[in-house]
Order: sequence, then structure tokens, then C-alpha cells
Amino acid sequence: MSLTLERPAKAPGTTATRPPEKGGRPGRARWVWGWAYSGVLSVALALVVLVGYLADGIASGTVDWGALLTDSVWSPGNLAFGGLAMIYGSAVVCVLALVLAVPVGWAAAIALSEYLPPRLAKPLRLSIELLAAVPSIVYGLIGIMVIRPFVAGLGDVPGGDSILAAGIVLAVMIMPTIVAVSVDALAAVPGRYREAAYSLGLTRREVVRSAVLPQARSGMRAGVLLGLARALGEAIAVFMVIGRADGRLPESFGDFFSSLVRPGQTLTTKLAGPEPMLAGTSGPYFAALCGLGIILLALVAAATVWGTRGTSARVRRGPRVRRTSAWMRGPKDRLTTAVRYGALLLPTALLLGMLGILLARGGAALNPAFWFTPSAGAADGGIRDQIVGTLLLLATTALIALPLGYGAGIVIGTRASAKTSRILETLTVAVGGTPTILLGLAGYVLLCTTMGWGRSWLAGAVVLVPVVVPVVALTTAGRVRGMPGELTESALALGLTRSQYIRSVVIPYTWPATLTGLLLGLARAAGETAPLIFTATVFFGAPALPTGIVNAPVQALPTHIFTLSQDSGAPEAIAQAWGSALVLVLITAGLLTLAVFLRNRFEGARRWTT
Amino acid sequence: MDNVKTGNAHPQNVIAVRDLRVLDGKKTLVGPVTFELPAGSTTGLCGPSGAGKSTVLRALVDLLPHGLRRDGEVDVQGRTICCGKGDASLRSTVVLVPQTPVVFGGSIMDNALFGLRHLVRASRTEMRDRMEKALRESGLWNEVRDRLDTPAQSLSNGQRQRLCLARALALEPAALLLDEPTSALDERSRDTVEESVAALRGNRTVLLVSHDPGQVERLCDRTVRLELPETASLVPA
Repeated sequence: MSLTLERPAKAPGTTATRPPEKGGRPGRARWVWGWAYSGVLSVALALVVLVGYLADGIASGTVDWGALLTDSVWSPGNLAFGGLAMIYGSAVVCVLALVLAVPVGWAAAIALSEYLPPRLAKPLRLSIELLAAVPSIVYGLIGIMVIRPFVAGLGDVPGGDSILAAGIVLAVMIMPTIVAVSVDALAAVPGRYREAAYSLGLTRREVVRSAVLPQARSGMRAGVLLGLARALGEAIAVFMVIGRADGRLPESFGDFFSSLVRPGQTLTTKLAGPEPMLAGTSGPYFAALCGLGIILLALVAAATVWGTRGTSARVRRGPRVRRTSAWMRGPKDRLTTAVRYGALLLPTALLLGMLGILLARGGAALNPAFWFTPSAGAADGGIRDQIVGTLLLLATTALIALPLGYGAGIVIGTRASAKTSRILETLTVAVGGTPTILLGLAGYVLLCTTMGWGRSWLAGAVVLVPVVVPVVALTTAGRVRGMPGELTESALALGLTRSQYIRSVVIPYTWPATLTGLLLGLARAAGETAPLIFTATVFFGAPALPTGIVNAPVQALPTHIFTLSQDSGAPEAIAQAWGSALVLVLITAGLLTLAVFLRNRFEGARRWTT
Repeated sequence: MDNVKTGNAHPQNVIAVRDLRVLDGKKTLVGPVTFELPAGSTTGLCGPSGAGKSTVLRALVDLLPHGLRRDGEVDVQGRTICCGKGDASLRSTVVLVPQTPVVFGGSIMDNALFGLRHLVRASRTEMRDRMEKALRESGLWNEVRDRLDTPAQSLSNGQRQRLCLARALALEPAALLLDEPTSALDERSRDTVEESVAALRGNRTVLLVSHDPGQVERLCDRTVRLELPETASLVPA
């Protein structure tokens, strides 16, 4: 239930019947509106800047869209810009990831929500949600160290760099997201539907299929779309295992399967490579890259917006009734139970395996000296400077993102009419789903080049702001909507203006949710690699704390892991990469735990990922 | 009770319950209660609120909330039912109709056949016949006969409750357990649902939970009273 606050019609002469008291009326808190609207503005601005940057780039040289969409030859030297192989690569990698992750993820979610006793299901659900928040750089590292050798062993693949490896990495990465969102959708189905179906003598399989799934289907589909958006927009984890070979398209249908174990290229890996640096800031080369960016942005935005819509939209038409059969009910029920429990083993194994690998290989991180000494040489010593750099980036991002996200959330929650609020929400969701590699490129061009900051920690923090703001805004808006109507009513009945009402009722009510959102957003930002590579970080040689803004880079954990993992020949570099990964996971887990604690303390249990 | 074939000539107990209690760990939440449901009778189950009338119904069909368990003996059609196993075939023999009507997505026909589709392999026409019979029995047929394909969500609350009743009747259950079927309804819908329940009298074995003594008086042949369990009355909360 939301209460919309429309501006009341002004009736001249009837206002201010109350004589001014001594000392005057307390502050009208008009500043609230300026603040709230600057939040909304920041969301809109992020989108405008991003699209504007890409559009400007496209306009700076002629883009041959026909060639970009249908030609597979990418050769800047010959001015041939065909993007088909990359679009194909993105599509195949995502389809592979979905084919691997969706059946298992859905079945595991059903087992978790409908089969497992609550005593076991609750901790497992929490851990899987944690898994969904593990930074993608860590998944990339696992891809390099575990999945690449596995694929290399499968066929004649030197090194294992291949489309298949990328698909598996993405599958592993999005499965927790799919499970977490699907479990939320299943848990939202009221128990009375289950009871009504059970009391008609249905088996558990039939109850799930006929009574629960029709209600949860849209939410479960949304989980898949969010997973797809994540897979499409992921740059770094794919970058590390796909091999980045241009222009590879299968020549025949039979060739398709062998092409899976050959290197390829996707839209995101092209943009995360060195080419945006080489292409300058205008001309056909740059324009073609921006064209690829626009295609990527459109695809991801479509998946995100569609996915988020899915959860809120009611199923208007009755769902089609599937054919059912009264044949072999008992055996079918037992078989399904076995299959679903089996599917649950996979995410559980993933969880334990991940923990095991991190602890076994990154054991160095458990030594306090690793945390508190600066690195020496290429891969010796500790990672003090990287931790400090990451914390500096996060703190700065938090300072900028908190007021903006809070303001935007309040406007979405209280002020707007239903339609505006939906538009604003969709915009916010779209910003939240933007591939972060595009944020990095836009930040590089605008802040580092045009404004002349060079590599700067502030540029990195600013680039991370659009990652955090949507999470803060959406959690706040959700909380505002959940406010009891009487609270609003009685506040307004006491004669508070709307800005006073926001200051004294809405803010005290929502701040725990906002802080939770901030911590969740920061947990996501902490693991972001792609936006920082070009804008803010260097691998080595920056002071622990920068002294200025211009040309003041820092070192950060995700980019540190990224650079170390590229140098996979040296064992000490690998050991340090794993150690840093463990530290990064611990920081993320710390932020999440704090978020969960806050939420449970002040709000009661609610969903907290994605 | 001997395992005699059910005949119409003399009443036979469809359900016999002895010393039924519902426990949470060692604490008794409900009961003990002993009663029988003779075939074709309508039995009222009444008692103060909090005595656990709805819980008794759930205990009979093994749908207790997580953590609660049943103690005592329950015979259904002469067979002793053991507790703890999710027994789907028991629940298609003794069918519970929950308090608030639950309407699934899909058409009225989908809803009326919701359980039957899973339990019986039959031709389309036969299914339709059984559905019509059930809808007639619950008194809904005349209101929905020309719109069986419209979404069931379009029905009023009273109609929904009768649809839930029809859905249960379509299974040809040995006994029906009605959990306060009128408490979620306004007065007019209540009367229509009461009419439907009254029409079952003599043909079906019904256990009706109600907090309204007047309703029990109107609809039931016999009454079972459920008291607050001793532990509850002795230990102040």
C-alpha cells in the first residue's frame, strides 16, 4: 500500500489561519526537496551521460551499421568494423550459461523452498545469497585456475581459453542469482495455496507443479532475466577465459560444436581490451566501438527492465493449464524429489568448493602481515596499499552515493504519482543494470581525458557511484512504500508540510533500509574491476594514499587480482592473487553481514540481494 | 470397529478418532478429543476460540504446521492411519476445505477439476460429467454453467467458497472437513454456502467446524465439543 502525496490545491485566503507564535514557525525544511530532486537528477544524469557519450562517439565518425551487425571481420587497420562475431560470441556465451544454470538453479530453488526443512533451508539460503554477491573477479580467477584446465582436458584446447569456458564461468556466476531470486518468488506464494492443493490429495510434485509454480513463475523468470543481464554485461570474468580471438564464426552447423572449444570474443571483452585506449576519442574506429557499446547497453537494459517488470506485474491472463496425468503418481513423485535434491547439491558443492579453494590457495591472507605490509616487487609482500585503496574508493563512493540514492528513493517512494514513480523506477533499474565496463569507458573519456584528471582515485569513486545509487534508491523506495498508512495520515493530520513530513517521519522510518541498501551497493562496488582499470588504478607504484586529485591513482584489490591473474606463469603471483581474492571476499561478506544485521534489527526479514 | 462393508442400511463410522491430541514437543496444544463420524451424518465441531478446532482438522489429514505432531488413534474407513507420512491418498479420501477460499489461476473449470485431473485418468467427457455433478452438488452450477471458461478470479467470495466445495466433492471423498466455511463471508454469501452445505446432509459425511452455535444448530445432526486443553487452562499464559 502506498500513499501518494499529491500537491494540494492552493486555496488563497484559507491557509495560514494559525497566528504566528512567538519565535516563529520551525523550519519548513524546504531543503528536503532540493536534496531529493538532486538524487533523481543524478540518476537521470548518469543515463544521459552514458547514452550521450556513446551517441557522441558514434556521431564523431560514420558507423556502417550494416557492416557492424552483419560482418564478422574486425580490422581497424583496414577500416573494417564488423561486429557480428562479437554479437555471436555474446549470444553463445549467454545461452550456454543459461542452459547450464537455469535448470539446476530452478530445481535447486524448489528443493530449497519446498522440500528442505526450514532448519536447513534458512542457512543454506543465506549462504547462496552470499554466493550471489561474490565479486565477478573471483569467479574469473576460478575460471582461470579451475575451469580453463578442465576445458583444456576436454579437447585439444591449448590453455583452455574458449567460449565454453566463458559459458561455464558465467553459469557458475549467475546460478546463485537465479536461485536467490527464485527462492524469493517461491517463498512469496502464500501457504494457503499449498494447503488447498495438499488437502485435495495431491502429491508434493503435483502441488509444486499445479499450485505453487503458476504463482511463482513470473518471479522465477525474472531471476533468469536478471542472471542474463548479469551475464551479458559481465566483462572481466569472461575476459579472463575466452581467449579474445576476433572474427571467429563457425562455418557450418557441425563446426558449431568444435567452435565452442575455440577462443572467441564478446561485446564486453572487446570493450574491456586495449582498443578503446588505442582508438582515441573520435573517428570511425572510436565510433564503431561506441556502436558496439550502444548495442550492449540496449541488450542489457532490455533484459534488466523486462526482468524487474516481471516481478511486479500481475499475471493477468490465467496461466495455461498444463496437461496432467494420473499415471504412476507415486514413482514420479519420488523421482522428482530425487532430482530436485540432486540439483540442490550443485550450488551447495559450489559454495563449499569455493570456500575450500579460497582457503586452500589464498591461505596467505590469513596471516595478518599480509594485510598490513605493502607489496614489494611484482608479487611479494602484502597488499596493504590495495586494501587501503579499495576502502578509500568505497568510502568516497559511499559519501557521494548515499545522499543521492536516498533522495531518489524518497522521491520514487513518496512524491511521484504512480506513473511517474514507475518511470523513475525503471530508469533507476536501468542505471543499476548498466554494464560497468561502459561506465568505466565513459568515465575515462569524460573525467580522465576531457577534464584532464588522468588516472585519479576520485574518477574511480565517481564511476562507482552509478553502481551504488540505484541499490540505495530502490531499497529506500521499497521501505517508504511499506510504511504504514496511518503513520503518514496522522503526521499530515497534525499539519506538517510535506517536506516536514519527510524530514520527521519518512527519514527516521527508512534510514535502516537506506543503510542496508548502501552496504549492499558497496558490496557490489567493492568487487567491480572493469570501471577502475582505465580510470583510477595502477598495478604498482602508487602511494597508499593519493595526495591530490589530478594524476593521483591508487591501487585496488579487484584490479590487483586482475593484473596478477593475467601473469599466470609465476606461482607467487598466483598465490598473491588468491590471497587478495580471499581478502576481497571477506570485505564483501563483512559488508553483507552488516547489511543483514541492520535489516534484521530494524526491519524484520526481507530479501536482500539483487 | 469391525471392518464391515459400508452399507446404507445401518450407519457406519467413516472416521473414528480416539484421544486425539496435538503436541508441540511435549506440550499439549489441542485435545484430547474423541469422536466418530457416522456415514452420511453432518457433525458440528464447536468450542471456544483457541481450542484448536482447525488444528484438529489438519491433524486428521496430516497437514499440521511444521514442528507439531499428532498423538492418538485415527481410523478412516476402518483403517488406522499412522501419522508423520505425507499421505496423499488419505487426503483424497478425507478432503479438507480451508477457511478462506483459495482460487488458483485459470478458469472455473480448471479449478473445479484441480484435484481430479491428478487423481483419475478419464476421458474428457467423463471429466466434464464429474465436474458438472460436483458443481450441481455445491449449488454453483446454475450460476456458472455458461461461463466455465472465464477466470475463476471473477467469482464472488461466496461463489469461490462453493467452488472450493465443488472441487473437493469432485473427488467423491469419503468425508468432507469444512473449516469455518462461512467465516470469511458476508451475510448473503453465508446463506448461499449454508444452503449448499445443508444440501449435502444425508448424502455426504461432513465434519463442520463453526464458532456460530446457530449455524451448528441449523446444519448439523450431532455436535462434538472441543475444550481448551488442561495444560492451557492450568498454566496462565
